[in-house]
Amino acid sequence: MTATTKVIRKPQRTMADQSYVIELVKGLGVTLKHFFKGTRQMVTGTTPDLEKHPYADGIATVQYPEEKRPYAQRWRGVHRLTHRDDGSPRCVACLCCSTACPAQCIYIKPAEYAEGDKRRGYERYPEEFVIDELRCIFCGFCVEACPCDAIRMDTGYHMTALDDRASFIYDKAQLMSHVGQDGTQKSANPRHEPGDPTHPGVTRLHGGH
Amino acid sequence: MFWIQAFVKIALIVGVLVNMAAILLWVERKQSAMMQDRIGPNRAAIVVGSVRIRAAGLIHSIADGIKMIWKEDWEPTGGDKLLYRLAPIIALVPALCLFAVIPFGPTLHVAHLRDLWSPEWATETTGTVIPMRIATLDVGLLYVFAVAGAGVIGAALAGWSSNNKFSLLGGLRASSQMVSYEVAMGLSLVGSFMIYQSVQPGDMVNWQMQHCWGIFVQPLAFILFATSAIAETKRVPFDVPEGESEVVAGYFTEYAGLKFGMFASGELVEVCTSSALLVVVFLGGWQLPFVQNTGLEFHYLGIDVSWHWAHIVVVLVGLLTFIVKVLVLVFLQLQIRWTLPRFRYDQIMMLGWKILLPLALLNVLLTGFGILFFNGLPTPGAMTP
Amino acid sequence: MPNFKLDDREIPFEKGETIIKAAWRVGVEIPHYCWHPGLSVAANCRMCLVEIEPAPGGRAMMLDIMKWDAAKNDYVPDRKPKLQPACQVQAVDGMVVRSTTSKHAAEARAHVQEFLLVNHPVDCPICDQAGECKLQDYWMSEQRTFKRMRDEPVHKPKGVVFGDTIVYDAERCITCTRCIRVCDELVGDHMLDLRERGNRNEVVLAPGRKLEGDYTLMTEHVCPVGALTSSHFRFKARVWTLKETATVCPGCATGCNMYLDVDPREQRAYRNRPRDNEAVNRFWMCDDGMMSYLREHEGRVVKARLGRDGGREDSKVPAALDRAAEAIAKVPAGKLAVLLGAQFSTEDNLVLAAFAKAVGASVYLTAKAPWRADKILRHADQNPNRAGATAVAGGSVGSLQDLLAAAAAGQVQGIVGLGADVDVDANALAPLSRIGEVVLFLSHEGPLARFATVVLPAASWAEADGSFVNAKRLAQPFKRALPPKGDALPAWDLIARLGRAMNLDLSYTKLREVRAALLAQAPEAHPDSRPMAVSADAGAQAQKGA
Repeated sequence: MTATTKVIRKPQRTMADQSYVIELVKGLGVTLKHFFKGTRQMVTGTTPDLEKHPYADGIATVQYPEEKRPYAQRWRGVHRLTHRDDGSPRCVACLCCSTACPAQCIYIKPAEYAEGDKRRGYERYPEEFVIDELRCIFCGFCVEACPCDAIRMDTGYHMTALDDRASFIYDKAQLMSHVGQDGTQKSANPRHEPGDPTHPGVTRLHGGH
Repeated sequence: MFWIQAFVKIALIVGVLVNMAAILLWVERKQSAMMQDRIGPNRAAIVVGSVRIRAAGLIHSIADGIKMIWKEDWEPTGGDKLLYRLAPIIALVPALCLFAVIPFGPTLHVAHLRDLWSPEWATETTGTVIPMRIATLDVGLLYVFAVAGAGVIGAALAGWSSNNKFSLLGGLRASSQMVSYEVAMGLSLVGSFMIYQSVQPGDMVNWQMQHCWGIFVQPLAFILFATSAIAETKRVPFDVPEGESEVVAGYFTEYAGLKFGMFASGELVEVCTSSALLVVVFLGGWQLPFVQNTGLEFHYLGIDVSWHWAHIVVVLVGLLTFIVKVLVLVFLQLQIRWTLPRFRYDQIMMLGWKILLPLALLNVLLTGFGILFFNGLPTPGAMTP
Repeated sequence: MPNFKLDDREIPFEKGETIIKAAWRVGVEIPHYCWHPGLSVAANCRMCLVEIEPAPGGRAMMLDIMKWDAAKNDYVPDRKPKLQPACQVQAVDGMVVRSTTSKHAAEARAHVQEFLLVNHPVDCPICDQAGECKLQDYWMSEQRTFKRMRDEPVHKPKGVVFGDTIVYDAERCITCTRCIRVCDELVGDHMLDLRERGNRNEVVLAPGRKLEGDYTLMTEHVCPVGALTSSHFRFKARVWTLKETATVCPGCATGCNMYLDVDPREQRAYRNRPRDNEAVNRFWMCDDGMMSYLREHEGRVVKARLGRDGGREDSKVPAALDRAAEAIAKVPAGKLAVLLGAQFSTEDNLVLAAFAKAVGASVYLTAKAPWRADKILRHADQNPNRAGATAVAGGSVGSLQDLLAAAAAGQVQGIVGLGADVDVDANALAPLSRIGEVVLFLSHEGPLARFATVVLPAASWAEADGSFVNAKRLAQPFKRALPPKGDALPAWDLIARLGRAMNLDLSYTKLREVRAALLAQAPEAHPDSRPMAVSADAGAQAQKGA
């Protein structure tokens, strides 16, 4: 077996390269081209619309607080806990999200509804629901795992910069205060409450069998 | 009368230069932004009622000025307090002083101002004469070299007195770089002196008005001088003295507030000064092609145009021409600053000593042969000013 | 031994055994809900239906049925074999049983499964059984079809409190009657019964009763679905995050085999489950034993401490060991007493006994007082390892009473002890306060702890490998489920370190070495010396999660 060799010559610099002047002029040509194009766009107000043409030539600055590029519908932002009609969380504390979470950043303390509550026996609720947003990797597995559409990442908020770590530990009240990109705190998917005619009922007499 | 004239001109020049520094700060930011497909500074605003005046980012320069004034004037412990405070002054003042000998317009003859639109040109100068320069020195450009050389002391002192290793390294780099390029810069102009047969900037402009621009007779010297002048300003690509990636901020690492502002504005003033020098020596000063002391004169290609202007118009056109030429060169310098990457220290030294210096010497030799070839041996006395 | 053929496998059986039990013994599971190896046969779930081929020359039991014929678009007459419940049919030599290989059995199981789920709320996300639920398992393996019924399901009571320990959800219940049979057959108290029929069938308490006694949690343990839930474990964790460890109950001298389920993320014990061992506890455990996982977290000693009474301070283990060595060195020869611990493993006691021998100390035993016994599982002796501790001490040890007498007589001036439990009245401990140096290795606080001058934190039974010898002299090993809490180390390791600090010949650094010494000195207390009872492991596999 013979080894094949391929000779790669070191690129030789010509006198023109060495003198640097020509290359300098070429470089100036590139920067000047951009300078005049940018200036023309600024002066005539024809900066490209980055929403329609994200990769257009020319000035690519978004004036952030005033202009915001809309996030994609499936963009995963800070979590929220969706509400029921009465304002309580949809969450039934099944721990599916904390099981699915690869970063193990979700802590839920499930609790049983009090005696006399119509949901007692049917559902449980999260007494505590804590997400460590510093540990979260925003993979969205919790949203996928949720059987009740109770946790969503459609707030459109990205993680805020805060100046102490404790502020990133979001509790139930904080998570429930977030609003989805559709402007509501609910979910479009219907939810049957115990006692509704649509819900698997409450007493053995209810169904009329 | 002489003192009033001098004072007015000094006030004018210093005022323009210092404000130019502030404006160049804006130009530099905005120009680089355009080059890099950005918008550049536009946030600072003066709020008048509900109106926010942003002036395309010019307010940032004002904000920077205010910031520098109000910033804590911190001084490093263990440094030499006196030298530490002196250094920025030494860095800024020579840059301003350089302009003293630079002519920025045609000489104003007070006597001719009276005949505004009916030019009756006297052949000789009579009455009060106001030269458009602060000082007319016999040593001319030699003064420029002398004063520019003093600038390095500021950088060196700043590096030394800051009691900081990075500052000291920056100061050392600045000293060696400026000393090296001073040599090439001086030698590159020798050829021009030989052709103009003068070291006075005014004479140089006059020679160029009668013959042609210096860049055509001294093209090599133009490149050499321009390169050296950029190196003298210690700006990219020659900014190893403040190379952020290696020595934090070089010799002004420890400077804050207005003292830092003096270094920064000193740099920008130097950009103006070196551009003005290039204009005077190589680009015909205030001179516009086909414009003579009397007005537009075009006698080529069978066309004879002779349009006489009032004296004040000639002076104003000259002033404007000079300013435009300087601004174009300043623009070019800023463009180069945002185009090229920083050279390595050894590359800078090699360029200065092994390339620019021999080429400058070669230029002197070629110029000498050229003069010999075209004019024959100069007659004794022709060299005397 | 007679054999029968189940699918492709020859299964041996004992005369009188049913098909399902013989298969269970060898680790083959025939799907079932109501059958439990420890309970009588009810044959009400119909999940274990199998096809039994007719004996050679015999007549096949066939049923006339109507079968849908898609080509004719009508039902046509057909015949199929009569399926029989594997839990009720006794095995016969040479019998050929088809379970997984019978399409009729598979079809029957799928239909049974669909029937069971007709009224089921399918609230798996909030059901504690999810993950170990037979309904889930068999849906995956036998059914895999969606619910076809579009009517409102039947509604039954939810969240019914059956007693202090059990909560019942009738909607999830498949009325297999396992829980009723546990009450009847294990406890002998008919606390539960069924009411109504068909769709409305549900488990209820006997009138005027509540679910009580020492074996209430066994009803939850046998429940194949999420109908009965333990109020202690309810909503606390999901079973798929738990990790099981085979261990032994530390509750009494019976030494019930069990699994300790811990969450490795939180390093917390969540529950016990009985581990089948026909020689010890069969399939059961008492309620106190089921709750013994709480001992892992309650009343623990996790830091070394020095001084007694007001002068206590926390310390580090090495410093405390040095201090203990100094203290023991001050005790005059022959005046040192060593207290073995009946709550600690045989290995811990072996090393302490070796220590006692090396320093020439007299040996006593500390143990918990007797408790309520019964004829089922609970042993009067609360200590899991009295037999093991006695064995490594050479067959006899003094009691704590003897130690107190010796202390009162001034014959003891220093104590090195394992555990802080006492089987005497707390007021009788007064003589101990006269003893100058008391070094205790403690996993839990106890009455003796207040006399200690040096306390060293020992690992609990869940935090170290070890073995107990139960009242029947059966040595049983247990595995480490969690890392030791705080600064704790296995007690045998601490004692060996103390011995080395005193320049004694206690070179044990690995459990292997301790076990080797155990085999040499007291082979009857070594966990390998007698085989673990019968074929329990195969059954355990089949019963896991049942």
